[in-house]
Amino acid sequence: MKLLRRTAAAFLIAVFIAALFAGVLVPVPYAKQFRDSPNAMPSRIHLLGTDELGRDLFSRLLYGSRISLLLAPAASLLATIIAALVGGVAGYAGGWLERIALGGTDLAMSLPWLFLLLAARAVLPLNLSPAASLLITFALLGFFGWAASARVICAGARGLRDSDFVLQAKACGCSSRRVLLQQVLPNLRPALFAQFLISIPVFILTEANLGILGLGVSEPLPSWGGLLRGLENWSAVQANPARLAPLLLLLVVVSCFQLVLRQEDFAP
Amino acid sequence: MTRTTSLLSLCLSADYPDRPNVLRTLALEMYSGEILGLIGQSGSGKSTLALAILRLLHLHKGNQRGEIWFQGRNLMGVSEREMRSVRGRELGLVLQSPLSALNPALRIGTQLEEAWRAHVKGSDDAARKAILETLLSVSLPAERSFLRRYSSQLSVGQAQRVIIAMAILHRPSLLIADEPTSALDTITQSEILRLFAQLSRELRMGILYISHDLLSVAALCHRIAILHAGQILECAPPAQIFGAPQHVYTQKLVAALPRGALLDSDGDKVSSVVASHEVEESVKPSVESSIPDQIPSIVR
Amino acid sequence: MRNHRLALLAASFLLAALPATAQSGAELRFVLRSEPKTFDPMLVDDEASETIRYLTGGVLIRVNRKTQALEPELGVSWKVSEGGKKISFRVREGLSFSDGTPFTAEDVAFTMQKLMDPELHSPTGDSFRSSQGQVRVTAPDPRNVVIEFPSAVAGLERLFDQVAIVSSHSPKKEAAVLGPFAIAEYKPGSYVLLRRNSYYWKKDAQGRKLPYLDSIRLDVQQNRDLELLRFKRGEIQLINSLDASYFESLAKEAPAAVRDIGPSLDSEQIWFNQVPSSPIPNYKKKWFRSTSFRLAISEAINRGDLCRVVFSGHARPAVGPVSPANLFWFNKSLEPNPYDPQSALRRLQQDGFRFDGHVLNDPDGHSVEFSVVTNAGNKYREQMAAMIQQDLEQIGVRLNIVTLDFPSLIERISRTFDYELCLLGLVNVDLDPSAQMSVWLSSSSNHQWNPEQKTPATSWEAEIDRLMQAQASTNDQKQRKSYFDQVQKIVWDQQPFIYLVNKNALVAISPALANTSPVVLRPQTFWNIESLYLSNQGRGGDQ
Repeated sequence: MKLLRRTAAAFLIAVFIAALFAGVLVPVPYAKQFRDSPNAMPSRIHLLGTDELGRDLFSRLLYGSRISLLLAPAASLLATIIAALVGGVAGYAGGWLERIALGGTDLAMSLPWLFLLLAARAVLPLNLSPAASLLITFALLGFFGWAASARVICAGARGLRDSDFVLQAKACGCSSRRVLLQQVLPNLRPALFAQFLISIPVFILTEANLGILGLGVSEPLPSWGGLLRGLENWSAVQANPARLAPLLLLLVVVSCFQLVLRQEDFAP
Repeated sequence: MTRTTSLLSLCLSADYPDRPNVLRTLALEMYSGEILGLIGQSGSGKSTLALAILRLLHLHKGNQRGEIWFQGRNLMGVSEREMRSVRGRELGLVLQSPLSALNPALRIGTQLEEAWRAHVKGSDDAARKAILETLLSVSLPAERSFLRRYSSQLSVGQAQRVIIAMAILHRPSLLIADEPTSALDTITQSEILRLFAQLSRELRMGILYISHDLLSVAALCHRIAILHAGQILECAPPAQIFGAPQHVYTQKLVAALPRGALLDSDGDKVSSVVASHEVEESVKPSVESSIPDQIPSIVR
Repeated sequence: MRNHRLALLAASFLLAALPATAQSGAELRFVLRSEPKTFDPMLVDDEASETIRYLTGGVLIRVNRKTQALEPELGVSWKVSEGGKKISFRVREGLSFSDGTPFTAEDVAFTMQKLMDPELHSPTGDSFRSSQGQVRVTAPDPRNVVIEFPSAVAGLERLFDQVAIVSSHSPKKEAAVLGPFAIAEYKPGSYVLLRRNSYYWKKDAQGRKLPYLDSIRLDVQQNRDLELLRFKRGEIQLINSLDASYFESLAKEAPAAVRDIGPSLDSEQIWFNQVPSSPIPNYKKKWFRSTSFRLAISEAINRGDLCRVVFSGHARPAVGPVSPANLFWFNKSLEPNPYDPQSALRRLQQDGFRFDGHVLNDPDGHSVEFSVVTNAGNKYREQMAAMIQQDLEQIGVRLNIVTLDFPSLIERISRTFDYELCLLGLVNVDLDPSAQMSVWLSSSSNHQWNPEQKTPATSWEAEIDRLMQAQASTNDQKQRKSYFDQVQKIVWDQQPFIYLVNKNALVAISPALANTSPVVLRPQTFWNIESLYLSNQGRGGDQ
């Protein structure tokens, strides 16, 4: 088990380093279209082959990893922080505050996000650089993705609200704010961590779907989401199975995250 | 010797949304440095009273009315902010189950520090010093390695001592102990009882000792109050409670005690307890069998 | 010569084998990609309904989908007079509707009267309406009918290709038809079953009654993947308008089944927003209104690569609003804009733009950057945009790609005008330029680059207006062709629409289906439905 964890950690570090130094490692620029060899098979020049426009899939995968591995956890962190605050306060305070907060999360989850995102796109200027579109995309994901986590956190906090140690802390004269921050939140860490971890792949996939609304990472920047959309072309995947690499990498990275950052470490 | 002054004087009613009249204009008075045993069966309102004195009954969705005169002011009339400065600093609370009263996610040191910082703004050193001293006074190892432990790494007895340390960190003038020994085995139980006696003596701290166990209280307390159905039926020195219980309920309570515990093992145990109790003098007689070398020292 | 004779022999052999297959209850199957909205031939406005109308309706004049010439059907002969205001038909005798009721000139008159009733709001009728006023229809005898319009109708005769004659007497209304097939069963959401019209009048060269097929089953099936799958399983025999990627995947498994018929009438194009009131910066409006800027962008786009990479070779660089597939109306003197980034840069530099090797700046120092909007989910357009992005990068132009859902896109290009460059396709179903009237008139709402102008914004738009009106007001085809050639030339010179590619018409036909001769005009594969048949040998068809 320990060996497995170490391997997973080593793999993650390798992926992060590869993504970080993508600029040095890639054989060719990620956006360069080799128009004479679209849909190429893996070769010495194109390690994973090329996409429909002749762009090197290996380069795109490395750059896409850089974007997704950095921004999806960042968005997830943002969502988890908001969820911790909303859910923690609601569950701990209880009463009308909890009802309002739960109503808020219900509303947030039942909102027609599709239309809200369309509205958001309508408000944004058309001439966004790909980098700006990228940041906005993940910021939106973070801001909109907290509701489900907040409910879980709220339920957890509600359980802690009536616990003896909260009573004991109160009896010691600790203020509500400090009890929430110092006593309740540390106990929610495993739940928060789980929510954080669950959100990462969800956000990576959501980003892919946002592309359909003109909100995702825009051309020519690659992202895992964008690369996964490439799998819709099944006949191309059949022709070149190396195209499954983004999916494989996503699965492996997410499992490695699970292995390395085990929940037990957060709950003594 | 010194004239005993009134520490706490209250008259309280309390309700829960689904259980009215848990306390029915319950009147109780305590003196400085006194150990008052509060005896009642489960459901009689013992814990409610403990929380009500700290004005924390709302945490259990309860509602309290009446007066709590503590050190010359009515706690029912002070702001929540003031109340918070009273909790922990002048009124300490020790809960029944030590393991659940400690936060499983925090180190012992952190929890004690939280309790310290609730009332004192100061350097880490000062906090550390106060905490280590208090640990010594509850016979816990005053070591950093101990402070780094989590509650799951403590024995139940150690955990209860940590809770007591937290409660007495600021030398409160009244410590409320809500069945502090019911979760402990017999040996640890007697150790903790001894600790309470010692703390009362050393810190001149009033202790409201809540229990369902008349016997364990008898050895420790200056007076015993019998609580039933939200009211104090009678409040008297142990000698009177055991020797001449006034109320029918108290009589039943005493009659239900195993006789051997009172007379057989040591012929004069009860009588000595009964004979030596003098509340006005705030002294405590010895109860040799249960806490042999501790109690005599309480007699000043 | 010898080969020729052999081919003839083979053909007559196949024909000789016909009666056997025709009587064996042969059923052709293919899918409708949407639910037909109506079976009333006068109200047809969608492709599925049009398919039903084509298969069941009898018309006076048919546009031969292969030769694109007019052919007499129910009208034996006709004469247009009074400059396109009047048309008189002599109708075929001795025919009956599918319910047995006889067909006369009276039915034609009834059909036209009903069609032109403004209360009916018939899309087919609307194409005849060039101005307000009453349409007069008279049938002096059972053989002749005369129709008079209040003003000249451009391309009048070929409009009758859409007019399916209905019976004035038959109580069965839509069920009484004059075409090769009649509706036998309809299960909404599931299928339409057509059975051969035993009263159909046409016969083949051997005197056998047409059509050969007994029935046609049209399953309603929206999903293209399923359509392809069913074709591979042999459950359906035809697929119209295949996507390039489906075509390629099918070509690998069944090379005999797929046919690339060459460029279709449909085009893909981009255009710059030239609306004066649009909410974009003024310096950008200045670029977009500059002809040499538009020409430079057009020259910087590698159309050959678009065809080759995005459409796997199943497309041709486009010239203008008319596809070379439109045999008569295409202006043959025009060529697609060549790919020439150097020439593009020269043009821009003449206008005062500066290129430092990385970034192009306009004379006022603004770097040239704009966005292209297109509808999300269209793989081909997204890929074309990505290729154009890289092409334009070579001349220092930064292009941002924004894909939008269709309603938002339409909102932007036709109401808020908050866009800079738009990439969309145009589907042409009609060969005649009159059908494009609304695109070219500067006062029209479909004049995409700058719609609903009170007076033409530029002299060349005024000229296009004049030429389009002129071609519409005469019935002299040669004259009309010359006017419309000029329109094509102006569009080529000015590039209000920058035409990119004409997609090829791609179809799949089961080898079991004989006598097929797919064409680019709709309905590509079954335009000659009456002479199609299923051969038992599993092989056949012409090439």
